[in-house]
Amino acid sequence: MTKTIRNRRLRYSIVMLAVIALVGVFVVRLVDIQVVQASELNKASAQKRSIPVTIYGTRGSIVDRNGTELADSVTRYNITTSPRLVKQFKGKLGGTRIKNVSVGTALSALAKASGGDVATMRKNIAANPKSDFAYLVKGLDVQHYEAVRALGIPWLYPEPQAARVYPTGATTGNLTGFMGTDGAQAGLEYSYNQCLAGTNGSETYERGEDGVQLPGSTVTTKKAKDGGTLETTIDSDLQYMAQQTIASAAKTLQAESATATVTSVKTGELLAVADYPTVDPNDVDATTDKGAFGSRALTASYEPGSTIKAAIAAALLDQGKSNPTDQAVVPYSRTFPWGGTIHDSEFHPTENLTLTGILQNSSNVGITELGARLTAQQRFDYMKKFGLFEPETAIDYPGQPSMDYGTSPNWDQQTNINSMFGQGISTTAVQVASVFQTIANDGVRIPLHFVKGCTTADGKTIDAPDVQKQRVVSAAAATQVTGMLQSVVTGGTLVGMKPISGYNIAAKTGTAEVAEGSQGYGGQRITSVAGMAPAEDPQYVVTVTFTKPQTNKWSSGAAPAFRTLMSQVLEKYRVAPSASEAKLYPSTW
Amino acid sequence: MSTNLALVDPAVVPSRAPRPDRQHRPELVEVTPTAAQRRARPRIGYAVVAVAALGILLLAQLGISMVLSQGAYTLNSLSAEQTNLSRTQQSLSEQLRVLDSPQNLARNAQSLGMIANSTPVYLDPKTGRVYGTPTPAKPDEATASTENQVPNSLLNDVPLATKPGDTSTSKETGTTSTTDTSGTSSTKDSSGATGTTGTTDSTATSEKTSGASASDQGTAKSSVESDANPLQAPSTR
Repeated sequence: MTKTIRNRRLRYSIVMLAVIALVGVFVVRLVDIQVVQASELNKASAQKRSIPVTIYGTRGSIVDRNGTELADSVTRYNITTSPRLVKQFKGKLGGTRIKNVSVGTALSALAKASGGDVATMRKNIAANPKSDFAYLVKGLDVQHYEAVRALGIPWLYPEPQAARVYPTGATTGNLTGFMGTDGAQAGLEYSYNQCLAGTNGSETYERGEDGVQLPGSTVTTKKAKDGGTLETTIDSDLQYMAQQTIASAAKTLQAESATATVTSVKTGELLAVADYPTVDPNDVDATTDKGAFGSRALTASYEPGSTIKAAIAAALLDQGKSNPTDQAVVPYSRTFPWGGTIHDSEFHPTENLTLTGILQNSSNVGITELGARLTAQQRFDYMKKFGLFEPETAIDYPGQPSMDYGTSPNWDQQTNINSMFGQGISTTAVQVASVFQTIANDGVRIPLHFVKGCTTADGKTIDAPDVQKQRVVSAAAATQVTGMLQSVVTGGTLVGMKPISGYNIAAKTGTAEVAEGSQGYGGQRITSVAGMAPAEDPQYVVTVTFTKPQTNKWSSGAAPAFRTLMSQVLEKYRVAPSASEAKLYPSTW
Repeated sequence: MSTNLALVDPAVVPSRAPRPDRQHRPELVEVTPTAAQRRARPRIGYAVVAVAALGILLLAQLGISMVLSQGAYTLNSLSAEQTNLSRTQQSLSEQLRVLDSPQNLARNAQSLGMIANSTPVYLDPKTGRVYGTPTPAKPDEATASTENQVPNSLLNDVPLATKPGDTSTSKETGTTSTTDTSGTSSTKDSSGATGTTGTTDSTATSEKTSGASASDQGTAKSSVESDANPLQAPSTR
């Protein structure tokens, strides 16, 4: 009897131990799955169930002052295929009846719908017939893509791709720059890339057997962020007129290149920065001249020539060293003790000219006689205050000259003289515009700029340029210079230019010689006109520059373009015409 | 309700004890539940309510998930529609911006025979004073009248607007304009017709818009109304 009881107890114990051991095994396995391997298993299961999607952050657009898009992002579609699967199929192929469609028929239908080329497609497929991926056509716009989709060819796979379009074409191509396959290549696209670029995000969702997304299964793992909108001060219509004007004139003059700028005097905003030749950012390959990929108006430095005389005159007046009717005896040429000679551009007998007359006739001899009343350091400091010899502080554009000049002129004796009529120093077209903006704005310089700022997706404006005003010369000096420059138009080097009826214009011409490397100055010239209107209260400054014109090497060749552009500016912005005739200072005595 | 429970029925009560005498039979004791006992008793109503509630809950759950999954299908088809519509919107606004480009406007204006006047003249409506000397526009004077010098490859396939009375649509390839000479001659031909529509229209519009610009708008408008073709968006591209 006791033996049976003991046996029974033993059996119970064994069973209990077995159960406990089993439970222990389960617990261990449970902990292993739920705790130790949890994250790995979760990931693996999510991968099996969920479909990841990339949410594209759109690159921001570049707009002009009125909000017109100069550069914008669009979606383009690449049509890809899996060469392994390319074969005959049954389908409608855009028709109404289901029929057998051969590969050849399908490809030629695709070529017709997309504008692609059958031979290229066949080549891409044949390149690796076993592979799972090949491009057939690239960069289809929506309409072509829809047409391709309507064909219903089963082995075509679309690949969306962000692309950039420039609706105004070459009008602002010099400023916006363009995008290449490796990102921003030039212009504003390049310098403001950080603000313009969007950030791609990602999310996942789970879907049922029929491909429909399961409700509530979307998980955003990373939010996409759109790029900012870059606002410029450019007026695209005016920019077009400027491009059109200088391109026409440059072709007539057979010039190598040309630039034009239009500046709003009171704000320092550049309304147009035109270049010839220029790039069509929609078709960059059509431009072979690499120099045209950017803006020469901003990046090319040249010896400005006589337009600088206006700055020298302003400095003289500001220092009280001269006045508009200051009398000078001006011979045709002048020889210096060190052997250097300068002379005026056209022969003339010795004349009795006022400072006004010197500017009117653009006399090199005259301006050096009076300009010598200021020391080299004084003139250098004034030019620096006018914005020369320094990089543009308010313009962020790739390829601008570094302008490394230091704080003292470091000119030899001859350059000291030549700098007064704009030889031996270098400027950009925009810097010359800046000098005239300062004179037109009663002597107050506002750093020229053509970007207002970049508005990010969350509404903040960043990258706004620093446009601190700075007085360069007294208001009286600036007004007197403007007054003197009117004589240039009415009786001086611009006398041949047809007047813009109703407006008094103040302008200065420049005919600079081009230094050809070590060979010194050759026969080539850079002709330019810089001016402002209406002279009583200048609103706009217009400059035009032609590099190496052939048919007319004098500034008179640049005058018609200046006139056309200025009249377009005055008309476009409805500038009130001058109320009275210009009051001119006497030019001789 | 109170009849089915806890009543001692003398007829059915089994009795193992020896039957007492008839005469000594004790009086029947009626056992009735107290109010508290009665309240504590489970009732069928509660069960029904509970089961019904559970049923409704399950049905609601089923309904909600049906609606949700139906919503998923709706969402799916709507988002497919949205994708399509936004594609259409993108392509149309893309086209619009290209048509809006200064190059397109300028070359169309030229092909319609318009020339730019390089001498701005203003009339001050308050004083009646004319600023500037009115001068007729000459085709060779303003650069805006010369052919387009500013390339825009997006315009390659965009046809030019037709001149009034001209039914053929001329296509421009690249930046070369082929309409310079024909433009001026046909303007002369059709100037009579345009003139008359212009004047009738200007009287009509001057009722709505008063001021010096009324006739201007009138002529601009007339060219739209007299021939809807020129400003129609091109159908290709």
